[in-house]
Amino acid sequence: MNAPVQQFRTEVEQDLLDLFELSADALPGDAAVTALRQKAIRTYAAAGLPHRRVEAWKYTDLRVALKNVPPLLAEVDVQVGESEIGAALGQAFLALPAYRVVIAAGEFRGDLSDIGALRDAGVEVGSLGQMLESPPAWLTASFDEAGRRDDDVIIALNTALMTAGVALRLPEELTLQKPIHLIHLDMPGASGSIFTRNAVVAEPGASATLIESFGTLGATDLQRNSVTTVSAAERSAIHHIKLQREALEATHLTVWAANVGAEARYNAFQVNTGAALARNQIYVRFDGEGAATDISGATLAQGSQHCDTTLVVEHNVPACESRELFKLVLNDEARGVFQGKIIVTPDAQKTDGKQMSQALLLSETAEFDSKPELEIYADDVVCGHGATSGQIDEDLLFYLRARGLPEAQARALLIQAFVGETFEALDDEVIGDAFAEVAADWLGVKLD
Amino acid sequence: MLKIKNLHAKVDGREILNGLDLTIPAGEVHAIMGPNGSGKSTLSYVLAGKEDYEVTDGSVTWKGEDLLDMQPDERAAAGVFLAFQYPMEIPGVATMTFLRSAVNAVRKARGEEELSTPDFLRTVKEKAKHLNIDIEMLRRPLNVGFSGGEKKRNEILQMSLLEPGLCVLDETDSGLDIDALRVVSAGVNALRSPERSMLVITHYQRLLNYIVPDRVHVLSNGRVARSGGPELALELEESGYAEYGEEASAA
Repeated sequence: MNAPVQQFRTEVEQDLLDLFELSADALPGDAAVTALRQKAIRTYAAAGLPHRRVEAWKYTDLRVALKNVPPLLAEVDVQVGESEIGAALGQAFLALPAYRVVIAAGEFRGDLSDIGALRDAGVEVGSLGQMLESPPAWLTASFDEAGRRDDDVIIALNTALMTAGVALRLPEELTLQKPIHLIHLDMPGASGSIFTRNAVVAEPGASATLIESFGTLGATDLQRNSVTTVSAAERSAIHHIKLQREALEATHLTVWAANVGAEARYNAFQVNTGAALARNQIYVRFDGEGAATDISGATLAQGSQHCDTTLVVEHNVPACESRELFKLVLNDEARGVFQGKIIVTPDAQKTDGKQMSQALLLSETAEFDSKPELEIYADDVVCGHGATSGQIDEDLLFYLRARGLPEAQARALLIQAFVGETFEALDDEVIGDAFAEVAADWLGVKLD
Repeated sequence: MLKIKNLHAKVDGREILNGLDLTIPAGEVHAIMGPNGSGKSTLSYVLAGKEDYEVTDGSVTWKGEDLLDMQPDERAAAGVFLAFQYPMEIPGVATMTFLRSAVNAVRKARGEEELSTPDFLRTVKEKAKHLNIDIEMLRRPLNVGFSGGEKKRNEILQMSLLEPGLCVLDETDSGLDIDALRVVSAGVNALRSPERSMLVITHYQRLLNYIVPDRVHVLSNGRVARSGGPELALELEESGYAEYGEEASAA
């Protein structure tokens, strides 16, 4: 390994370098992939873990938050059946009609994945670990694209240590009728780190829905790093949906990075209820005119959970539209973070960007930090943002109670209504209802 | 029977009800009239149990039980229903979901079986029809984007579904045109029964042409200043509230 640049590093920062050193020989990939990994670990070594003086990490100090580096989980076989998946994700997500792909304990599970059916439907698809040994050009291109974002330490570490995942290519004009459901699980009783990388390439006019769900089989100390890159060519449409229900002790660091071509649509939707520390980064870059993105979601947090959603949308070309709506329900000492950056370059005239984040605080000690950042260098644009933070409306609560609803039930109904707005905006009744069940589950109420 | 004795209540530290006495026997409809600020709405909120309405003296018993000791939802279960002057809009809660939650919460509290979905839907459809309520309206979020008339009809629909023993109607006529007023009044009149008491709060006599009360009380400065039969309402229509603390021109 080349000499690192950083003068001082913390024990955990060094542990991550050691993890790479120890694992390097066993990590999958040909010579080019190995070179990619080397370059990425050097980038990480130079930067170290982000801390609060790094503006993008102001509210989530990773250097302080990461206390240890558990061993790499890869190639471990764990027992996974319907009951395990149901327990990890909830019945609604177990029942979703979809092509399933399962990654458990850092291992791609061909035995549990509908790879054959996906191929029959026309999708080029494979286990990332296998494809790294001889990556097709489209996969290499997606690595190169991710490499341009290597200044993001989560991506750099992911590139260095990625072991499992799925790579998908949707050929031109293919419309996939059923969603692809990528299920990420951990390992019972395990203390481990999992690095997964997924790549989605949609050729012109293709469309598909990709659901990524993260659930627990009972890991005691999980550090998850998961990166999914999406390349959406002109006129394609990718709907990217996430349920994060990690173990409550887990660390969940993820990036979704999408490049969106002309007239294409990339929609991202994320719901978080799990993990002690979650940082969800979504990067969207418009590469062609007339493209659109809708990035929305909901966070339900309690105890001392910390959930950070950080978005960067780059309007690099004219006439693109971005919409962002995030809702947070924060109880106890939970902390929610929303950072939304919208960059409009000088050429990106006729940009239409809107952003909204709203938090419902259920306790005096919950905290919501919101940071909109609009960097607008074009003059003919419509951009707006808003952030609100409030408590349950006592007048609404009284109205419901006056109709006979006991206080707890009335509160739950109002909370469901608050987050439910995002589920309805999904415009997919089946998935929206599944999320409504997740919210009801979190609230400890039953849906009718 | 509703018995209110010497009721004193404060809002934001200001005394609004000031020794109010009122008894409504079962099966009777009583109207409360009075100038703005006389305490009409405060009385309705105190009966329904709104927070911030602090009772400092007196008592309210409903069917022999201390109403003031109950939570708002317990009062609903005990049969007290307040039709709001300004019904709340709740985005994200479908009206139908709300109606069903309310009906089943009240049934559960009364020790009755919850209604099955088909039974509930049949009941709602039938009652909605009498109030000229389109079922489509009930699929929309609760009161969101409803017209004034739709909101009030929705209140009466809730009232008929919850089968209360005491109906308190707080300025149900406000914001209604004459057609809506007729529909709402017919809905209310359909609920009149020997077991049910009603308290109709209004500023104007007009409503009482449609819902004819057994007794009329004039509220002034937080207490009942005068009581009489239906003819009292007509008299007030002529003379205004001038002698009860409001300029005639303001009424």
